[in-house]
Amino acid sequence: MSTAVQIGDVAHGTRNGAPLLELRGISKEFPGVKALDDVSFSIWPGEVHMLLGENGAGKSSLMKVLCGAYRADSGDFYYRGEKVAIRSTADAQKLGIAVIFQEFSLVPYLDIAQNIFLGREPAGRVPYTIDRRKILGDAKRILASIGFDIDPSVTVQKLGVAHRQMVEIAKAISQHARILVMDEPTAALSDRESELLFALIARLKADGVAIIYISHRIPEVFALGDRITVLRDGRRIGEVRPDLTSPDELVRMMVGRTVDMSYPQNFVKTPGKIVLEVKGLSTATGVSDIDLCVRQNEIVGLCGLVGSGRTEVARAIFGADRKTAGEIIFDGKPITGGPDHAARLGLALIPESRQTEGLALLRSVGDNLVVASLRKLFPSGLFWANRARRVGEDLVQQLRIATPSTKQAVGLLSGGNQQKVVIGKWLATGARLFIFDEPTRGIDVGGKSEIFTLMDRLVVEGAAALMISSEQTEICLVCDRAYVMREGRIAGHLSRAELTEENILKLAMHDA
Amino acid sequence: MREGAVTLPVHPLQRIPGVAIMLGLLVVVFGAFAPGFLSVANVSNVLVQSTILMLLALPMTLIIMTEGLDLSMGAVLTLTSLAVAIVSLATGSMLAGLAAAVMVGVAFGTINGWLVSVIGIPPFVATLGTLGMAQGLSLIVSDGQSVVGIPHSVRDIYSATLLGIPVPVVVALITYLAFDSLLYRTRFGTYIFALGGNREALIYAGKSPTKLLIAVYAIGGLMAGIAGLLMTARMNSGHPTAGLGLEFDAIAAVAVGGTSFERGNGWLPGTALGVMAVGVLRNGINLMALPSSVQVASVGALVIFALFFDGLRSRS
Repeated sequence: MSTAVQIGDVAHGTRNGAPLLELRGISKEFPGVKALDDVSFSIWPGEVHMLLGENGAGKSSLMKVLCGAYRADSGDFYYRGEKVAIRSTADAQKLGIAVIFQEFSLVPYLDIAQNIFLGREPAGRVPYTIDRRKILGDAKRILASIGFDIDPSVTVQKLGVAHRQMVEIAKAISQHARILVMDEPTAALSDRESELLFALIARLKADGVAIIYISHRIPEVFALGDRITVLRDGRRIGEVRPDLTSPDELVRMMVGRTVDMSYPQNFVKTPGKIVLEVKGLSTATGVSDIDLCVRQNEIVGLCGLVGSGRTEVARAIFGADRKTAGEIIFDGKPITGGPDHAARLGLALIPESRQTEGLALLRSVGDNLVVASLRKLFPSGLFWANRARRVGEDLVQQLRIATPSTKQAVGLLSGGNQQKVVIGKWLATGARLFIFDEPTRGIDVGGKSEIFTLMDRLVVEGAAALMISSEQTEICLVCDRAYVMREGRIAGHLSRAELTEENILKLAMHDA
Repeated sequence: MREGAVTLPVHPLQRIPGVAIMLGLLVVVFGAFAPGFLSVANVSNVLVQSTILMLLALPMTLIIMTEGLDLSMGAVLTLTSLAVAIVSLATGSMLAGLAAAVMVGVAFGTINGWLVSVIGIPPFVATLGTLGMAQGLSLIVSDGQSVVGIPHSVRDIYSATLLGIPVPVVVALITYLAFDSLLYRTRFGTYIFALGGNREALIYAGKSPTKLLIAVYAIGGLMAGIAGLLMTARMNSGHPTAGLGLEFDAIAAVAVGGTSFERGNGWLPGTALGVMAVGVLRNGINLMALPSSVQVASVGALVIFALFFDGLRSRS
């Protein structure tokens, strides 16, 4: 089903003249990955062009090529029909392309006006000074032009996320940006704040500004988009008009990634007793009313889009974030304390950023393997090097960690083997429930299947696992069943039989 | 979509900066317990004695705003003070001494800035290194002895008055106004906020953080040079430990004044009040005839108390 999804391709002939900006056949390759493969894309003034795709589909790469942060390996750019080059951020700025990044480019302790004109301050009468009256007046005018009524002498530090975004847009407008690229602009906004942003977008459209809008939220895509381009695996799958398509069709266009991974699946598992039960969990970090359970001998997936609250659920279960409601029951006993308590009970969190949160990279494999179980291994408080070495060597052998010796620094191992060390570290503590947060991030294909095999063995031998992943294909491959999250809530549960990429995305993006 | 500025209602008392309350408390306490604290002569004395610290704390504020630090300031001041003494002794000219001091100071400041921005050494380590170099050079050029017999023209600076105001106080006032204008009215000042607050934004705006950082540290050196003249005038000699520990007082004054060490959050009036708080504290303890070691400990306690107090207030 991955072929021939060129549904509803919009003919460009309906527009007058050349597009404001056109990309033709853009390709960009990184070692081992083809980030963009012959992608063409165009945008007209006064249009919102939605860019849709799964994680790793190439949206960010395309955006970075557009703003000059990456140089395309091949392909051409045309501005109003004329061939141009975008080789640097300066080139992009000259063409009037501005990116509203999620991490803001604002200086917190300068005021709004100073931020808008940073680096372009109008000179005052005395050399080197700034014409304060002019900068405030100009800022006020630009803010008014986008319908943002605020005193430009307010310090940015005092503004909320939505208002900072408005300042960011005002900054782009002041640089005469004609093409605005917005990367998931509503990700950090409340519904009311999003309304403000949408009103602003309508206004910018009316002024002839072209907007490239990256979003995961299906309702937004239909409410705002004039055209929708879907990317998958770095390729342009198709361009559709919102009035001629449906959410289901968009999901079908996004899924169907090719998986080149061999993995000896072992689904002949009989789930045992319930190990972890979460009831009505809510936290201040944005998840609410979560119900889930994990049994012995099974791997349960926790999926959803980035930012849907998966990691927050894991952190709350582990006691790293305080819960505001609900209970977490592990082996029949409620978890009440912090991470210390959870770890002592037999929970293990294998964090997403294993390099910073899971390992001491400069220390040896052996040290890293015993560091979480020191109290258990050395109840007397004295460190016996021989015992530590024996435990380390056992684990290296058991997990087949490819390392010349237990004395090797962990930082020198491959990503897959580093991940095994993190798992081994928790294995040594006698953990019975493993929470894996993006366990295969940054690990090559061979390493991935080894990690999966290891996870499988852990649960067959009596452990339980909760796996968070943005890779829908991996969830489908590894998990016995899965919960899908959307905007901080559980949107649905999929049994093994229902577990397909399409079903996950449907639940993750909109009401099925 | 009319949206006003998001400002939370603030209790009028909370508008008063913590450092002002702190200074007020110190004045009240010493006014009550330290003999002669509120006399005209003593108030003038506190002001004059605070000038050197003011000259160091103002550029220190800018440096800390860039998420940096200059530990070498005290030692560099020792060296510039010796430069004033030695050169004015040799030439008989106060201005020649000042010129030498400024050159030495700017040289050290530039080296600090270069190490931090171009080489990329953390400011703490880089300026700790130059601290050692400046201290060592001071011992070498002075041979470990005080440099005495310097011209009257140098000494007179400290006791002279302008329109009835002591010259050092005039120098400090002018310096304050200059720094205030620099930080709040010029492009350079705007970029200092960005150096600590969001360096990426600066690069994106086409400005070089490297050059700006070197300039900020060089300004620190320049001020250490000018302060060196005041120090030599005050002691009527050059002394190889003249500036010992002054960087501590300068950093303390900045911290007490409400400049945070993160994200380019600096406040120049706070630093001025912080300098006065440190000056009043040292003077008051001196008047109460307590040993000078108590001064050092109390300045340390002042910093901790001030930050604790600020934390309490911002939480309530």
